[in-house]
Amino acid sequence: MSGRKERLEVEVDPRLHAYAEHLVEVGQAASVSDVINDALAERERQDREALDYVRETAARADQGKMARVLAHIDRQAAALPAT
Amino acid sequence: MTEGGNPIPPPYVLDLSILTEVACGDAGVTGLLLILDGRGQPLVLPVLAVLQASLDARTADADRALRGIGRLEHAEFAPLRDAVQAAGLASVISRTGLDQADGHVAYVADVSVSRILTMDAAKWREHAEKLDKPLHFVEYAEPDDDTNAGPELSS
Repeated sequence: MSGRKERLEVEVDPRLHAYAEHLVEVGQAASVSDVINDALAERERQDREALDYVRETAARADQGKMARVLAHIDRQAAALPAT
Repeated sequence: MTEGGNPIPPPYVLDLSILTEVACGDAGVTGLLLILDGRGQPLVLPVLAVLQASLDARTADADRALRGIGRLEHAEFAPLRDAVQAAGLASVISRTGLDQADGHVAYVADVSVSRILTMDAAKWREHAEKLDKPLHFVEYAEPDDDTNAGPELSS
């Protein structure tokens, strides 16, 4: 995680704000900012993991079949009226 | 313009048949979507179709796959945002007889002048003329698999 932080003004649900402050009060987070930062980092991690998963799935595809399907799709699309 | 300097093509709205294959981990469909994304092809995932694909699969991998496709550079989720959109979707479902998942696909394609990407051209052929403007669709199929060879023109 980058050591440098940027200031960000956000609006959050009062319930989640209270929960973040609770985490700070009981010593499970250093600050509300840390809670928000951790939540965004976790979302980024899950998105990256999901992208990695679809790339791994795609890597198992039959390249020849995919090329034929793609060509077929392109032919169909080219024959449709312009939008 | 795409990164290759070509005009941005009309979006493909992914229907339930495509999203179901994504959720099931089909390598060919997933690979094709990654290729399209790499070409700068906009892809749209109607959330009610995503919901149904997730419900049908009910595995963590399925949800990961659907999330991953939605995070591609040129992909976006199409939400159901407000009462106006809900009423528009209700109208489409009422007129076509489609279920809510593909009804949302048809609604998004209709209002955004997009094309539907499907593995089931027969279904869309049946419903394509039921709205004020025809729905246009292209089928994921190998040419030899397509018994109705030729463009999937709905009008």
